[in-house]
Amino acid sequence: MSWELSSKQTWLHHVNPSIKLILLVVVFVGLLLIDYIHFHLYFVIGLSFIYFFMTGYSYKWLLLFTLPFIVIFISSFTSMAFFGEGDKTLYQFGLFHITEESLYRGLHLGIRSIIFGLLGLIFALTTKPVSLFYSTMQQYKLKPKIAYSFMAAIRLLPMIAEEVNTLRQAMKVRGVTFSHTISGIYERIRYYAVPILAQSIRRAHRMSIAMEAKQFNGNRGRTYYYQIKYGREDLFFCILLICGITVCYYLQTNFSFLPVERVLH
Amino acid sequence: MKKLGDFMAETAVSVEDLKVKFPNEKSFLFKDFSLSVTRGEKVLLVGPSGAGKSTLLKILAGIIPNSVEVPMKCTDCKLPNRYGYVFQDPDSQFCMPYVDEEIAFVLENTQIPPDDMPTLIKKYLDDVCLSLPDIHTKIDRLSGGMKQRLAIASVLALQPDVLFLDEPTAMLDEEGTKQVWDTVMNIASDKTVIIVEHKIEQVFDFVDRIIMINSEGSLVASGEPEVMVHQCKYLFSQYGVWYPSVWQEKLKNDKQCVEVLLPEVTIQQLKGYKNKKELIRVEEVTVNRGDWVVITGDNGSGKSTLLQALAKLIKTKGEISYSMNNDSNYYGYMGYVFQNPELQFITDTVYEELAFSLRNSQLSNDECDRRIMEQLNIFQLDHVKEKHPFQLSVGQMKRLSIAAIAITRPQILLLDEPTFGQDAANTFRMLDYFASLHRSGMTILMVTHDKNIREHYANTEWKIRDGMLTDARRLYETDYHSDRMGVRQSVMGT
Repeated sequence: MSWELSSKQTWLHHVNPSIKLILLVVVFVGLLLIDYIHFHLYFVIGLSFIYFFMTGYSYKWLLLFTLPFIVIFISSFTSMAFFGEGDKTLYQFGLFHITEESLYRGLHLGIRSIIFGLLGLIFALTTKPVSLFYSTMQQYKLKPKIAYSFMAAIRLLPMIAEEVNTLRQAMKVRGVTFSHTISGIYERIRYYAVPILAQSIRRAHRMSIAMEAKQFNGNRGRTYYYQIKYGREDLFFCILLICGITVCYYLQTNFSFLPVERVLH
Repeated sequence: MKKLGDFMAETAVSVEDLKVKFPNEKSFLFKDFSLSVTRGEKVLLVGPSGAGKSTLLKILAGIIPNSVEVPMKCTDCKLPNRYGYVFQDPDSQFCMPYVDEEIAFVLENTQIPPDDMPTLIKKYLDDVCLSLPDIHTKIDRLSGGMKQRLAIASVLALQPDVLFLDEPTAMLDEEGTKQVWDTVMNIASDKTVIIVEHKIEQVFDFVDRIIMINSEGSLVASGEPEVMVHQCKYLFSQYGVWYPSVWQEKLKNDKQCVEVLLPEVTIQQLKGYKNKKELIRVEEVTVNRGDWVVITGDNGSGKSTLLQALAKLIKTKGEISYSMNNDSNYYGYMGYVFQNPELQFITDTVYEELAFSLRNSQLSNDECDRRIMEQLNIFQLDHVKEKHPFQLSVGQMKRLSIAAIAITRPQILLLDEPTFGQDAANTFRMLDYFASLHRSGMTILMVTHDKNIREHYANTEWKIRDGMLTDARRLYETDYHSDRMGVRQSVMGT
């Protein structure tokens, strides 16, 4: 199985991974504290612009990736809107009780989850794991021991996927069937987990021995093949985010079209 | 002259009165074991499976006890300052995803300035003749032989005095094996090399000394290869080492069996798919009852995929008709043994593993028990029947995986590289068993790289190239026959 996606390299790929991570986390936390619905609306438009035009992937893939977040949007929107509390009733039928407040609260929550999805995707699609760990080792003095454990673990993942597949075939050949009861589900988990864990632990152990045999010492000084530094792109990215936030703030104060300003929790 | 003599005698690696005991084991793995290797010497360590050859190699390198804690003691030892260690499994000795990053990992560890790295990486790749169009290539894309050569390149970056090779070709096909040994001979002429290997044919001319240890962990013989092969041949065969004439001696007694031309499986216009990609195509071919088919071809050409298609494990188009009566118990009719035995164990003990296969049979409990004991006996697993399958040695696991499938006596047995990485003793034991199943009328289809199985056991060969069955021919005593008879059976792809 190969899970390779090809993309064009855009300037976003060249932003220092640690800077990118920190800025996106700051934006993420900042947005949690803001409850102006128009701000979120404008911000999601801005992010979509970055997502679709600056990550360098084909639209087919980009749309496919947003699918789970759209599902989350719909589910959080509906659960909030249909059953929320409020004074101005818009529609009521049986259990459903849609009020103006709950409608906007649901919309707000849905948009928020899309924003978080997009932030995560923008980061994940434009950052190689190897560069991220090299950068955190160089810029933030992350211990090589930890960084390399992650990088080695990432190498294990496709092997595990392959093994799950073989395991499924082997169970078929040996005529293993699972019932749909709780104990059947437990059995299924056990049959898959034990061999996969045993294999992975063994492999991780072998890998760590091989790494130490190659004179890897988790703490000692080392040089870096990839020199990851700060550059122009980091400044661009910073400016882009600040401008984006300013524009959203401006639009939010001057062009609000929904009757609600803030969504109070 | 004297200087040269001194140089020759200088010890590179040595241990004296070594004692090693694994926790929870009753006996010592090594007891009062001494060994010394002079600088520049090429040494081959052989011995039966489980004798502790790999453990010894790790002790000589210092991996035990520095990285792996095993209780051990020795009165005196000299370990190399700089060593390189190449492991058996190509997939679990790299920690980075790309070729250049993997070598860079070693260079970083030894604190080479980053500006020198690209040139050095190219140099080490050239040293092992691994010419890649782009050094930033995914390691997953390399064949097994290339991966092992990359492993050698990355240990060369450590500039080792001593090179330890721990069965580096056990998981490789013939071509990969040759590539690896050619590389070793190229790069290691001035280095001390210590090799553990049970296929000794390729390294026979390269090594200066063969050291043989027995299952009690004592040194039984040591000497020049030619002398050893003449004087201690019985030990080689006793310990299951692949020495040059082992096949001829094995085959003296074996003989082939009868043939019936009764179609067992007929395949027409078969296509096998994985992730919607067509990976294997067969135009038309028949397997007769009692055939022993070997499926050969390069790595990744689609041999295993063909087996999976026949066993209905992947999506197929086209027609496969079997000579079975009803479709209900398909996997009772056809047994499939995977390459990795660990992934097909289901229960917690060896005994239950066999019992599981018989749970749907109509046999009485006594009859089941009798059959299981018989099977355990044939596969030499009776002494471990209460153990968990994961506690077995690699050879035992492999035997158990075959025993668990064969106990239901399927009519067709599909085997994916059953003898891969096994020593001679295990291989012959398995082949004897397959031969007895075959004599009793079972049809066998086997993916293998082993020329000797093709020559001495199989009666039909299917060649796979680039996802297509290009040739299916009957094999007879001489090539002349096989060419003529091939016409009747052959399938011509377009």
